[in-house]
Amino acid sequence: MEPDYYLLQQLTRQVQDAATLEDYREAMAALTQGLNFDYFALTHHVDPRSAGEEAVHLHNYPAQWADYYARHALGICDPIHRASHVAPGGFPWARISDYIDLTARDRHMLRLGASQGIGDGFTIPIRIEGEMPGSCTFAMRPGRTVDSAWLAFAEIAGRFAFDGARRLIGRQALRLPMLGRVLTRRQRDCLLWAFRGKSDWEISQILKVTEGTVKRHILNACARYRVNKRIMLLAPTLLDGTFSITEIYGYRDTSFGT
Amino acid sequence: MLHIHDASQTRSGPDAGARGAAQDELLRAMFAARKSVFVDLLKWDVPILAGRYEVDQFDDPNAQYLILADRDGAHLASARLLPTVHPHILGSFYRSLCEQVPPQGPDIFEITRFCLDRRLCASERRQARDSLICALVDHAIARNMRQYVAIAELSWLSQILAFGWECHPLGLPQMIDGRMLGAISIRIDATTPDRLATAGIRPSHSLLVAALPSA
Repeated sequence: MEPDYYLLQQLTRQVQDAATLEDYREAMAALTQGLNFDYFALTHHVDPRSAGEEAVHLHNYPAQWADYYARHALGICDPIHRASHVAPGGFPWARISDYIDLTARDRHMLRLGASQGIGDGFTIPIRIEGEMPGSCTFAMRPGRTVDSAWLAFAEIAGRFAFDGARRLIGRQALRLPMLGRVLTRRQRDCLLWAFRGKSDWEISQILKVTEGTVKRHILNACARYRVNKRIMLLAPTLLDGTFSITEIYGYRDTSFGT
Repeated sequence: MLHIHDASQTRSGPDAGARGAAQDELLRAMFAARKSVFVDLLKWDVPILAGRYEVDQFDDPNAQYLILADRDGAHLASARLLPTVHPHILGSFYRSLCEQVPPQGPDIFEITRFCLDRRLCASERRQARDSLICALVDHAIARNMRQYVAIAELSWLSQILAFGWECHPLGLPQMIDGRMLGAISIRIDATTPDRLATAGIRPSHSLLVAALPSA
């Protein structure tokens, strides 16, 4: 069966325009069926039990599996979610190993999901600046396979659907506090070399300051982010744009003008 | 500061020469920033002029530009608007992204080359981006435009929707040259500024006077 573009467009619009969460779930279930899937899940990759109202977490997964999943806070380590953080766009689950190496625990979790009624699926990564990463997933019962003819529309519809959910929850509530630009230039310099694996003594030689000064800058940087170990600065400073991944892991020495 | 460059509305006057020189400087800064973003960073295969400027066949007198610059004239962010009644990117190259004929009319413009300067840090980028989005909406309302169309890589689509304006897909996305592209329409009316504000998108006044370190 070929996708009916007009029907799908109409279903997407119903999801976009839903005035209440109840309408939204209903419209989303209809869209999911229209796309030839059984289940949908739109979620920020957080533990919904601690994130409360400030996260998108909507699905029609079988209750037993959803309970187990929430009880064990699987949303923050789900291999599908992890793969979505590195995939450039929507991906069928069959291609998950293009993006991450599955651990034994991941395989166990996927098998467990299948035994609870979640077979194959298609996941669309949602990355919005200043927000926790999220995704929109369409999944189906075991035994059915994802038909690639529907995926182009699933990808665009999933993005509109996620935006609809954000609107209903109140987009502004989802914003992470802006942490950027709180470090001094010297704190930043010291931290950058620390993240590149240099010891305090090595950093002191590179920056031509004393080892004590390096330690002090890094301690002060920790204080500004309210953490007590330097390793805990890595994730937030990458997330808020203080550092870029390439600055830390892909650098070349430019001090000789090369 | 926001500069609107629209060759079709440029008037000649006693100080047209001096203004013209400043405008040229601003356009050059924008073309250089576009080269830095679209060619050097995103590796788009688009023409480069004099090794420094990204300029294509749509940078003609029909194009309108919204350019955010600091008080020294350094480029912060910019966008190009192409009238859909003249050749534009969606109508010329990507009709296949539209299920029907691409939207066309005197009040429909295509947003292209949305460009945030690479020298901005994360918080400045966000301020520049939000300011430019607000400027695009204000400009549309001032010029009686009622619809924008745009081609976007799907990974960026979620961000475009997050601005809060009313968007609709124009057709099925397609993988083109290794990028998943989709076409959307953006409806602009008197309620659009409120929609942006509700989504937390506001112009930043402080950014518009700050100076950038020189490149």
